[in-house]
Parts: sequence; C-alpha cells; structure tokens
Amino acid sequence: MTAPRPRPAEPKPAERHAAEPRPAASGAVPPVEGRPLPVPDAVSAAYWDAAARHVLTTARCARCRAFAVPPDQVCPACGSSDPGFAFEEVSGRGVVRSWTVVRQSNLAGFAADVPFYLVDVELVEQPELRMIGRLLDGAAAGPRLGAPVAVAFEDVAPGVAVPAFRLAGTP
Amino acid sequence: MSPGSGARGRVAIVGHGHSQVWRHAPRALGAVAVDTARAAIEDAGLKPSDIDGFVTAPLFPTAGAHTVEDGVSTVTAQWLADHLGAAARYAAGFQGIGQLPGAVALAVGAIVSGAADHVLLHRALHNPPGRYHGNPMRTAGGAQQWTAPQGYFGPLPMIALPYNEYLQRHGARREAMATVVAEARKNGARIPWSYWYGKPLSPDDYLSAPMISDPVCRYDCDLPVDGVAAFVLTSAERARDLPHRPVHIAGCASAAPPRHRLPLHWPLDDIMAAGTGLVGRLWEAAGVRPGEVDLPQLYDGFSPFVYFWLEALGLCPIGEAHRFVQDGRIDSDLPGGLPVLSGGGALGNGRMHGVPQMLECYLQLSGRAGPRQRARATVGVACQSSPHFGGAVVYTAEPT
Repeated sequence: MTAPRPRPAEPKPAERHAAEPRPAASGAVPPVEGRPLPVPDAVSAAYWDAAARHVLTTARCARCRAFAVPPDQVCPACGSSDPGFAFEEVSGRGVVRSWTVVRQSNLAGFAADVPFYLVDVELVEQPELRMIGRLLDGAAAGPRLGAPVAVAFEDVAPGVAVPAFRLAGTP
Repeated sequence: MSPGSGARGRVAIVGHGHSQVWRHAPRALGAVAVDTARAAIEDAGLKPSDIDGFVTAPLFPTAGAHTVEDGVSTVTAQWLADHLGAAARYAAGFQGIGQLPGAVALAVGAIVSGAADHVLLHRALHNPPGRYHGNPMRTAGGAQQWTAPQGYFGPLPMIALPYNEYLQRHGARREAMATVVAEARKNGARIPWSYWYGKPLSPDDYLSAPMISDPVCRYDCDLPVDGVAAFVLTSAERARDLPHRPVHIAGCASAAPPRHRLPLHWPLDDIMAAGTGLVGRLWEAAGVRPGEVDLPQLYDGFSPFVYFWLEALGLCPIGEAHRFVQDGRIDSDLPGGLPVLSGGGALGNGRMHGVPQMLECYLQLSGRAGPRQRARATVGVACQSSPHFGGAVVYTAEPT
C-alpha cells in the first residue's frame, strides 16, 4: 500500500546558530534572539554534557536496566522509587514513527527556522523508546513511516548541542 | 454491582446557562461567569441561596506565558461561590485533563455523598491578548528541557504527530477531514451564542487553508475564545420537583494515567490503547451498550480527536473513521446520520472545551434542543480531550 502523504514545502536545512550573543539594541527590552536553551539539572547534566560532545545518551534504570525517555522520579518500567537513573551512550539509530512540519513556532528563536521537520523516532535500543527531534534533511529526502534515522546534533550556543536526526538511508 | 456504577442514575442535570462566546469578552470573565451562573440557577427553577456546592475545572489551557488570575483568566469554584454570595458547603476544582467529565464526577460525588444538595458546575474559558500559545521562554528547565530546545512545543505539534501517524498507517488523506469540520461549523453556525453563528465553513474553505503544523491546518483547531457555561445538578429525587425534564448521569470514566512519555508526546497507539480501556469502563459504569447510544457527542478541540473517539467508542472499526465520516453518515440533518457533532462541538462554537458536547446531551435528552431537537434522543455520550487523557460521561433521559 502506498500511503499518500502531505507534501510540505521544502523546509530550510537547519543552520548552525550564531554562538555569540548579539549586542542588545539600545533601550529597554533586549530583542528576542536564539532558541530556548536547556537548563541542566542534577539528573540531566550528564545528558547535556554528552550532547555537547555530540554523543547521544539515554537514562537507564540501575535496578531493571530499562531505558526511559525522559527519566522520572520513579522508574516507569519497574516502579523503583530509587531508580538511580544514569545516562548511557546509545547508538542514536532509530526509525521514524511520525513527523510534522512546523510552519509557525510558538517559541521565540525559531522564526528563521520555519518551516522545519520534527520526527518522532523509536530508538533501536528498546521497543517504544521514543524521542522527538528535528530532522536536519531537506524535503527532497522526506520522511516516511519506518524510515531509518541516525542522531545528529545542532550546536545552538557555546557548549550547548541539541540532539536531532538525519535520514540514514535503507538499512 | 459493576465497577463504577455506584452512583448510576442518582444525579441529574436540571438547568443550564451559556454566555455569548466572544473572541474577547467586553467584561471580565468573572463577571460573565456570575451572570451565566445566575441564568443557570434561574433556568433550574432555583435561587442562588439554594446552591450549596460549586464545581469546576479551572485550567487555563495555554502553553503561552500568560498570567493566571482568578476572575480574569480563570474562574475557580471558590471565586464563583464568593461572588455569587451563595452559602457554599462545598467548592472543588478538577485538576486533570478532560475537564468537563472530571468536574461532573466531582459533582456526582458531592451530591451522592451529601456534601452538597444543589451543585453549580461551570467552565470559564479565556482568550488572553496576544498569541494564545506564544511563549518567549529563553531557557527550558524541568520537563521542557527534553522538548523545547528542539522546537517541540505546544499543542499543535502534539496533535500533528498522532494525526500524521493515523494518516500514514491507515492510508487516509487529510482531505477526508473536510466533512468533519464542515459538519461542526454547519451546526455551530445555527447556535446563537456561538462565535461562528451564521458562519458555516465549506469543505473547499477548509481545504484551502494553509498548514500550521502538517497535517494540521488552521481549521483543524478550535478558536480560543472568552465564554462561560454553567449547569445545575442535583439528586434524581429532587430533580423530579424542578421545572425541566432532568437528564441523568449514568456513568463517568476518566482516562488512566498514560504511558510515560516526553511532554505532549501522544503516540497514536497510546491514544487508542488507553482510549479503549476508558470506553470499556464507561459502558460498565453506565450499564449501556454502545448500540444504545443515539447521541455520541465527540470531542473536536482538534479535529483528529473525532476519528480517535469514533474508533475508541467502537462506532466504527479501527482505521475506518476517515471513511466512516463521508457520505452523510455524520450529517445530523439526515435521518440516518449519526449526530456526533450536532451541538457544533468546539470547532463550531469556539474553544469551550467539553461544554458543547455536555450541553448538547443535556438539551437533546431533556427535549430542549429547539429546532434541532431529534425525534429520538435517549442515551448520550459527551467526550472531552483525547481518549487517553480525557474523559467521557454517559447521559440518559431516564434514570437507568
């Protein structure tokens, strides 16, 4: 069966964002610039440290060894209230389960990026282990259900990289 | 006694009120809520001093950076009780999703337990100035650190992912949704207080709208509005002495906690698996069979929810809703049409959450639906939100 799919206008390829903050305009409110940056916490610091090195990690329960995206206070797999989640490197490979093309972003800092693809990716490490990221390919290589992808990274600020994906071709 | 049936038929709706629905109300939301509550109480043949219970779901459902202020952008049960000058013995707010079914369950519990005898249930929705979901956040901490940095934010991508998953998996085309949206707008255009009164939408209009988050276009989304609705509920015994034919609450079901996911990540399989569970509990609680439902009012805050509820409720097979809705099968003007959006829904009224569905069940089952009154309306279902996150209530014309 050939499922019809939406034919989006060509998204712009993701660009690396300017690392240096631009000087604020003279006057009161500084202009909105740049995308929202993650604020690492005690649990997630290892994830963002690895991402900055372009390494994808996923939280893993120390009790049952199941992965969880995102980590939680209680392990969603085994119910441990002391899951001791630690971030372990994963392959970054997965398949597309769905996608959308964002044409209007409600977040500041994406105006120059729209339209862009977001893909819902099931990672190969565990069934239903799903994360959402931008797809950094153009529309010519548009996604389809089950398409293999591999992790890629966007450097959005000095020392800050955000995981994304690229189509990986036929496995 | 089957699970969930402990209050079956013991509580009834006895009156209602509904404000005008505006893009922006000319007065504060709280003032509109007080007027609407007074109208509902009068409609029920009661006085404000008779109302001793107040129930709502106060969520201001925006992803934007808007202030939450009681009486302005939300109206809590306590606020309304205070400003009506009623002697409340009970005031409570439902904090989950599926706000109307959740609030109905609170009201039923209050009445059956004796915490209150006459409960005013209201829902007040606000459209703030500026972009409804616009958010100038510069940093993303907590749960949002996992999604906002890559631009996954707000309810549009949230619904676009499972909708596209549906289209791809079932070989559906987004063009099929035109009949759903046109049906909602056709019915909403006949409702005097609707924002869309006198403004139907043709399938061609729908199909010519630009995408916002593919495959979701502007008309797949309800419009944020200011508006208030209120209902009066009491025991079935007391309801018999009031002026209007009571409509009984046969059973309620709320969604189970969904599978652990990223914020706003609603995979299609999660929706349908949990939705099927919810619907099973609903029939068991209400003691009705799906085939007995002649007024299934489906939630349509985003149009794909109509497909999801049609399939979760068993009104058509999984993967078939996009075909089921064609050829007049959901046209409430046709004798054989299943009236799934006869109250106009959220797409035909404005973002009143589950109000249009609950109100249509009340009006039809009490014989008060006016020109659109259906010859046969005995068992209604009012749904809200997603089948895996929201809830549903079965209403019956007779106490079951």
